[in-house]
Amino acid sequence: MRALDVVRLASESLVLHRVRTVLTLTAIAIGLTSVLALTGMGEAAKRYVLGQFASVGSYLITVSPGRIETSGLGSGAGMAGERPLTIDDADAIRRQVPQAVRVVPLSLGTASVEYESRRRDVYLAGATSEFAAMRDLTVQSGSFLPGGSRAGREHVVVLGAKLARELFGDTPAAGKSVRVAEAKFRVIGVMDSKGTSLGVDFDDMALVPAGAGMALLGQSNLHHILVQAASAEALPRVSEQLRAVLTDRHQEEDFTLITQDAMLATVRGILDVLTLSLSAIAALSLLVAGVGIMNVMLVSVSERVGEIGLLKSLGGRPGDIRVLFLTEAAALCALGAIAGLAAHLVMVAAARALWPAFPIRPEPLWLAGGVLFVLGLGILFGWLPARSAARWPAADALRKRV
Amino acid sequence: MNPPEPAPSPPPEPSSSTVPAPALGHTHGDELLRLESVTRVYPMGGTAVKALDGVSLSLRRGEFVAVMGPSGSGKSTLLNVLGCLDTPTSGRYVLEGREVQGLTEAQLADVRRKSVGFIFQSYHLVPRMTAARNVELPLVLAGIAPATRRERVREVLDAVGLEPRATHRPDQLSGGERQRVAIARAMAARPSLLLADEPTGNLDTRTADDIMALLQRLHAGGLTIVMVTHDPRMGARAERRIGMVDGRLASDVVLAHVESTR
Repeated sequence: MRALDVVRLASESLVLHRVRTVLTLTAIAIGLTSVLALTGMGEAAKRYVLGQFASVGSYLITVSPGRIETSGLGSGAGMAGERPLTIDDADAIRRQVPQAVRVVPLSLGTASVEYESRRRDVYLAGATSEFAAMRDLTVQSGSFLPGGSRAGREHVVVLGAKLARELFGDTPAAGKSVRVAEAKFRVIGVMDSKGTSLGVDFDDMALVPAGAGMALLGQSNLHHILVQAASAEALPRVSEQLRAVLTDRHQEEDFTLITQDAMLATVRGILDVLTLSLSAIAALSLLVAGVGIMNVMLVSVSERVGEIGLLKSLGGRPGDIRVLFLTEAAALCALGAIAGLAAHLVMVAAARALWPAFPIRPEPLWLAGGVLFVLGLGILFGWLPARSAARWPAADALRKRV
Repeated sequence: MNPPEPAPSPPPEPSSSTVPAPALGHTHGDELLRLESVTRVYPMGGTAVKALDGVSLSLRRGEFVAVMGPSGSGKSTLLNVLGCLDTPTSGRYVLEGREVQGLTEAQLADVRRKSVGFIFQSYHLVPRMTAARNVELPLVLAGIAPATRRERVREVLDAVGLEPRATHRPDQLSGGERQRVAIARAMAARPSLLLADEPTGNLDTRTADDIMALLQRLHAGGLTIVMVTHDPRMGARAERRIGMVDGRLASDVVLAHVESTR
């Protein structure tokens, strides 16, 4: 038989039973759409979270005091017998590692900030002016921390947007005096609202020079030194040199380096597993649709026994009969796949219009994979009915009406 | 370039005596098929039913045979075996010099496609297809090119006088017209053997006569026809009558003088 004739005969039968065809096709379309929706959302979530990481700053290496034997994030607390991580260490890194474009010593803690009668307990960070570029921070009024790379001890403070609003209301804060942990500080700037990034609310925070911060918080140990490499390629070299410089200064490796890559890889892995398991659940609905195909095809075979007998009497080989019914199942699936694909694209377009911030989009690889899966399903579940059609003894089949 | 053909209508020879079949001095002389001690047994609720019980039969090319007998006598089974729709439980069947026993399903289908045309009591036309497409079906199964198919369909529909009805679906045709379409379909692949199972069983007398006349005309053109029928009137128009009882050949009579093909 010619391929075109096979397709024609198969599609005629689908058109003849249009209600049945449309219902089966709908089941397939729903199955495919749900798989595509879940994988699409998984991919979008991954993209969203990775985007959040990127906003933290690129090519970052975090140096934490203390050796962490098991993996995880730095605890910040130095252990007995270890040399503390100091501003001098940061300066040494800046001098000796040329490819470290930014080096920020960071001390962290909580402190109360008071202005007249108002008082608010907030996170306090001691940093340098380079911190602004590293974390993409900007000021709405005044200026950021002074002194370029120098970790000064000046009593100046930069307030988060929310903190400034809470303390000063609508009056400008820049130039005013506040008390930070009972010490007198001059407000030199207010940051733009940035919102929460990876659990840190920059809007409700006060930033002071690193030296002043350590003194305020009574710390002799920095929480981290943040080092930014010039490029992704430079990261391994910078890590290497960092390690050498600090080991030389401390006589031992009593610190921990965490690159952003390692964190990213972990997060990506978690999200991949999540996406895959959600898709597997959705694929179950496709499997149900596959059983539906089998059911419809079995009914179709038993209704058309007479026709099968006729085709055999006219010289149709068992293979011809099988191909006819398989093509019918495959055509059913192809139509279902097209409908499911169309529905998915419409949903994606709608989601993009409604939530522009959520980076969902058609994923060509998943789309292709989904469609192939559906076609495979059709052939898998169409096989049994097609085989049973081909096996009907011709003489018996001819006794039934066409 | 062709040797002189035998006259297309009524074979002039034998006189009205009944002669045993093999001795028939027919103009289309050579053997088309041969059954040797063919048995077909169906298991039926624990017991075995012998639908054919040691049937031996030889058919020459160009014969017109009527198979008669009560229901359950094995007529249809005989027809199915001749048409390779069913295979003997034991015995030999040779069609056009080819041993049928032992062929695969696909090979049997090839034999049917090349050598055999069927017509049925209830026509077996596909309701959703026009007359032309029904006739085209065997050619589609044979993988013949569409242009050739159209040509051939027109030819055979014209031969049965239904060319003007080519685009009608079966439900728009009368019983006689449906059977003509079915005959055209059976002839489309130019078979050497036409098997007819009660071809006039669903038709009124007049239409039945028309269909018989058509079959006789095809026979006169050289086609071998085996027709199962209950109707002695129809049986009387064949050249040879085979009577079956309980799966056996009870009689095999050659009627030398056959009614004219009109």
